[in-house]
Amino acid sequence: MNLVLVLVSLVPIAFVLGWWTSRQFGARRSGAEVSALSSDYFRGLNYLLNEEQDKAIEVFLKLAEYNRDTVETHLALGNLFRRRGEVDRAIRLHQHLVSRPGLTDAMKTVALLELGEDYMRAGLLDRAEALFCDLVAMNAHAPSALRHLIAIYQHERDWHKAIEHARRLEVMTGEDEAPMIAQFYCELADRSRQHGARAEARDYLRQAFDCQPDCVRAFMLTGRLLSEDGQHADAVTAYESAIQADIAFTPEILPPLLNSYARSQQMERAEVFLREMIGRYHGVSPVLALAHLYKERDGERAAIDFLTTQLRQRPSVRGLMALIDATMDKIEGEARENFLILRDLTRKLLEGQAMYRCSRCGFGAKAHHWQCPSCKSWSTIRPIHGVASE
Amino acid sequence: MRLLAIILLLIFIAAGIVFGALNADLVGYDLGIAQLRLPKGAALLGAVVIGWLLGGLTAWLGVSMRQGRQQRRQSRADKKSPVKP
Repeated sequence: MNLVLVLVSLVPIAFVLGWWTSRQFGARRSGAEVSALSSDYFRGLNYLLNEEQDKAIEVFLKLAEYNRDTVETHLALGNLFRRRGEVDRAIRLHQHLVSRPGLTDAMKTVALLELGEDYMRAGLLDRAEALFCDLVAMNAHAPSALRHLIAIYQHERDWHKAIEHARRLEVMTGEDEAPMIAQFYCELADRSRQHGARAEARDYLRQAFDCQPDCVRAFMLTGRLLSEDGQHADAVTAYESAIQADIAFTPEILPPLLNSYARSQQMERAEVFLREMIGRYHGVSPVLALAHLYKERDGERAAIDFLTTQLRQRPSVRGLMALIDATMDKIEGEARENFLILRDLTRKLLEGQAMYRCSRCGFGAKAHHWQCPSCKSWSTIRPIHGVASE
Repeated sequence: MRLLAIILLLIFIAAGIVFGALNADLVGYDLGIAQLRLPKGAALLGAVVIGWLLGGLTAWLGVSMRQGRQQRRQSRADKKSPVKP
């Protein structure tokens, strides 16, 4: 056979063999890497799902060590550290990530956002604020950064800045932040009221109503301002509007409302309003208020009769306690001793009870807060309805 | 497995040396621009080695270019919608 022909036919055969060998070698090498990575990743994930965060951190640290380009792994680790309260480690990790050369802009801004959250968690609010401001200026993750900034300003009680950033957030996301902004104006109005700047307080309240026309807190603050100015009849109207706006806040509104009724000598109007309330509101507060009104006007007997009738329809520990207090003077001897024990018992029962609960996070409170101390959402703390509470 | 591969490699090297020694007579090649005179065995082995290297290089280049393309595509996607952990 011609030697050249043999050579020419050998070259493509060798080519195919070389190509096949290279592919086999490459596939084996990348396969080994992928399987090592994915098995570690799934092991870490498994630990996370089993709430074994210590072991998950160990696995992810190892993963990040031999695969230094895995930014997501670093971010996941940072999150884990922060959630475990190891904020200093989370900060170091995110700082290292931010300073890493060759990181894409998108990843760098994610790392900056995470670093800001670390600073917030560590209480370094000034550093967090600077970072979030930079992110907003860069228009990177601006909605998240704005939300964090609003949280910082709320914490610092810098309501003007909180309003400014909430408005920017509204424009950016299209979400309605008006109820939150109305609360900020109410905070400003309350502060002005406490400092005696009544005109300023009224101006803030007007702006709160502009944001949310049915803002209960703004109605209540208006009522309080009017009441302090001696305009009790107008205060009554404001308090009644507050109840019309959100009936759930009745236990909070009734005491100042009853005071304004009494000072403006409109007790007949009070009776009509409370009777209407009893029909609409299923708590015990209007019943107790009306019983008190009957006691003042018609005497103890009328109040006891009214309370007894109402308690059959809506059993309540608070109502029972009021009934015991009302009947205590009429009882003597052994029955009185028994009633005293019963009164102490009901008092202790009420003392241990949370009267309010956040409708968003379930936080229980004995007193009313406009902002939930746990989840920081506004106007979500409401009276608990039940035998032992409202 | 590794020992078997080493033995096979040694056998092929020995066969190559024997093959080269047995076909030591020179053959002339006219490449158009130059004329070469090579031993027959060396020409055969050279053809096999060149073909094998070319095949390996082609496969390696193909894989690396594909990976480069994928990385560029990924970084573009990251810029558009950054990953939120």
